[in-house]
Amino acid sequence: MVHKLTIDGKEVAFSEGETLLEVAQRHHKEIPTLCYDTRLEPFGGCRLCIVELEGARNPVASCTTQAAPGMVVRTATEEIEAYRKTLIEMVISENREVDVHPLRGYASGELAKLRDRYAVTPKRELARDRPSRSELGKITGATSGTSKSDDNPFILRDYELCISCYRCVRVCAEQEGDHAITVMNRGFHTQIATEFDGLLKDSACTFCGQCIQTCPTGALADKKAMRAVPVGAVSNRAPLEKTRTICPYCGVGCSVDILTQDEKIVGVHPAMDGPANQGALCVKGQFAYDFVQHPDRLKTPLVREEDGELHEATWEDALDRAAEGFRKTHAAHGRHSIYGIASGRAPSEAAYLMQKFIRAGFGTNYIDNCSRA
Amino acid sequence: MTVIPTNQALIAQFREAPAPLLAVLHAFHDRDGFISEAALRDIAVGLRIPLAELFGTLTFYHHFAREAPGKNAPRVCTGPVCRLKGGLEILDALSSEDATPMPCAGRCDDCVPVLKGDEVLTGQQADTLAVHATPLPPPNPGTHEECIFAEIREPERNTLAGYQRTGGYQGLTQAVTTSPTEVINTLKESQLAGRGGAGFPTGAKWEAVLNAPGEPKTVVCNADEGEPGCFKDRTILDYAPHAVLEGMTLAAYATGATRGFIYLRYEYPQTLKTLERAIAEAKAAGLLGENILGERFDFHIYIRRGAGAYVCGEEGSLLNSLEGKHPFPRNRPPYPVTHGFENLPTVVNNVETLAAAAEILRHGAAWYQNLSYDKNLTGTKIISLSGDIQRAGNYEVPFGLPLQTLLYDWAGGPASGRSIQAITSAGLSGGFIAGEDLGITIDEPSFQKVGAMLGAAGIMVFDDTRDMLNVAHNAMEFFAEESCGKCFPCRIGTQRLTEMLDRNAKGHRARRALIQEIGEVMKATSACGLGTAAPNITESLMRYFPDMLP
Repeated sequence: MVHKLTIDGKEVAFSEGETLLEVAQRHHKEIPTLCYDTRLEPFGGCRLCIVELEGARNPVASCTTQAAPGMVVRTATEEIEAYRKTLIEMVISENREVDVHPLRGYASGELAKLRDRYAVTPKRELARDRPSRSELGKITGATSGTSKSDDNPFILRDYELCISCYRCVRVCAEQEGDHAITVMNRGFHTQIATEFDGLLKDSACTFCGQCIQTCPTGALADKKAMRAVPVGAVSNRAPLEKTRTICPYCGVGCSVDILTQDEKIVGVHPAMDGPANQGALCVKGQFAYDFVQHPDRLKTPLVREEDGELHEATWEDALDRAAEGFRKTHAAHGRHSIYGIASGRAPSEAAYLMQKFIRAGFGTNYIDNCSRA
Repeated sequence: MTVIPTNQALIAQFREAPAPLLAVLHAFHDRDGFISEAALRDIAVGLRIPLAELFGTLTFYHHFAREAPGKNAPRVCTGPVCRLKGGLEILDALSSEDATPMPCAGRCDDCVPVLKGDEVLTGQQADTLAVHATPLPPPNPGTHEECIFAEIREPERNTLAGYQRTGGYQGLTQAVTTSPTEVINTLKESQLAGRGGAGFPTGAKWEAVLNAPGEPKTVVCNADEGEPGCFKDRTILDYAPHAVLEGMTLAAYATGATRGFIYLRYEYPQTLKTLERAIAEAKAAGLLGENILGERFDFHIYIRRGAGAYVCGEEGSLLNSLEGKHPFPRNRPPYPVTHGFENLPTVVNNVETLAAAAEILRHGAAWYQNLSYDKNLTGTKIISLSGDIQRAGNYEVPFGLPLQTLLYDWAGGPASGRSIQAITSAGLSGGFIAGEDLGITIDEPSFQKVGAMLGAAGIMVFDDTRDMLNVAHNAMEFFAEESCGKCFPCRIGTQRLTEMLDRNAKGHRARRALIQEIGEVMKATSACGLGTAAPNITESLMRYFPDMLP
């Protein structure tokens, strides 16, 4: 049976289990959100996604409301839009800055975009003359509160920009399964902290950077990318370019967008639409890209010549030399003198070829995989 | 020689019990006076909770200390009424003992409570603090028959023998000879509705749980009486604990629930002892546990103490708290009747509702209906009345009674020479009522007609000497302190409104229109009752005292 509801005057179909937000997004309704990340359980915190639902006394959060047959929903009435604007003003009233370094993280411009869309200007009384959280002394924690105090090389923790949407806490728990960070205290005093409010390196954090990429204000930011493109240098240099590719590290095949400026890699964004990772990355894919443009990186095979030194060679020569080595060893010491260890980074197909090579090529079962280690 | 239990022993005591986290945390807090880092690490392993998550949850609760002097340092009530009765001065006088303030501790009929370890001392000066028994409700002042309070003043009614001598457990004894549906029908007919403030029909709630799929089912008694100016649940539990146990057992029989929890607020340590004793008595008499009253019907009740978080009186937060999760409110729907404790069907009822249910099953629905003053309404409501009033206390009021009758005839009005400037409604959540609107009757529709709420029915009286802007500021500060931090309108709104109500803060110069606007957004978009109710303070302040804000 096809379920139907009415959204902004139009009857539309939906599937069981869909939320009003999901139905609305399928029909290109631009419903604002700040605490929403499609990959996470709906949270219902920011209340920006409220919609008018006929029969309900108050607007409902569309992210947490299941679509039901016969519902009549309006997504952008004058009243709803006015509430949204006030909510954005309220959010901005607690933050030090809204226009942040564009390389802070994948989603770090979300708040600024909403401010522009709703034409919220700082002239409004709410956003002016009100103490921010840090001014009120509510950003506590000598160890984790400010940008400078967690001296890990990857993740900037700048909680003066935090709006307590808890996307970071939820992505860490729901996506990564690390549970490294949590919500400390209540209300205006809430703060993101590790256990005992300590440093990330002393916590269960794996520095996967997921928290950075989901943060809608840049409160959590990519230190490495910001170092690569210092503040102020963003606009007067060449434009940033994005190149879609696959992370070279392991066999999972996570899609990434490599960010470059002047042909230099300045950062990595996980591809939210990557079929294998859906926005997830690990510390290597997220931060360990320096080898790509490192001067020590090998660009051709090297072969040790009779002078004892390594010399650049062609692939053909190099493979011949390797084959010759195998053949000699096999002839001199027998089939069990060769032991193959496949790389954990290789996909299944390559692993299969590897064992075939060892078993059929040399006639030994001495084949293993480094994943066992 | 007392043997101090090890960390492992404390954890093992509750590891297999339902809702273990709060019980374990309290066990450590009681043993050490605080919960150390090492303790938390052991608890995380023992109960398989991620350490960071456990740490965050711990910091949510006001009363859990993480270092000495911790539990035994005095906490002084600085609630709205205690501020009028010397609370701030006592806090100051006890500063050398590391005293800290706590929000309203539910003792407005016997100010000022100071919580020290497992004792509550009361007194209006630091040097007169002593342990006093919970005050009984004042003698029935009207000619109206009471429901819950009818026999509460009888001696020893908080024991099983005393309770049974006054007709206790008759309702349950009769009920188990009938079907669950008949029990539910009696309740429906009585028109009893949730007395915690939300007013959901109790019979319909029990029926929904009876019909909901999923086992085991649960009955939760919400005794997290945190609303400032409300202290009725404490009186009921201290003097008629068996009425509440009977009500819970009736709910269990009617719904098929096999486990029950009493979620008791931290600030009532004496009540904890009373309840523990009452449960032991009921078990020994076959009124609780396995094969209740010889019928094949099992029900176990566990007490779980809160640790100082107003929002845990909200049922979603309460259920999360019981489950050991971060006590944010839950998104609704689904409701607890289908997705409650551990996502299974659950009755969550207030203390007063459950006690009334026991009386209704004993006396019948028609009897309860006829208790009201206005015969278009049914039943009674306990009002916690305090502040600038001569006879503060809990009054069981027939619905529809004129408010003036309660304030002046029953409670003696304000001190002589003074007049009533304003009262609060629903504790603080309904905002203020003043002027001619004090002529209303006591029932939910009448209160809502003047923009207020009867709710859990705490009424605090402020006479003509009080600074209402200051009262409003303190009220909003309470809501800001207790806002859980989940939804934006409440988290930011309560804070900004607090600033705007503070004469001395730099943010005070706010346009009234802006206060109005923030209030409207909070009311329309907040995720739970805390955020939707808090603006009643500013709305009613502007309505009755328009000159107080610039």
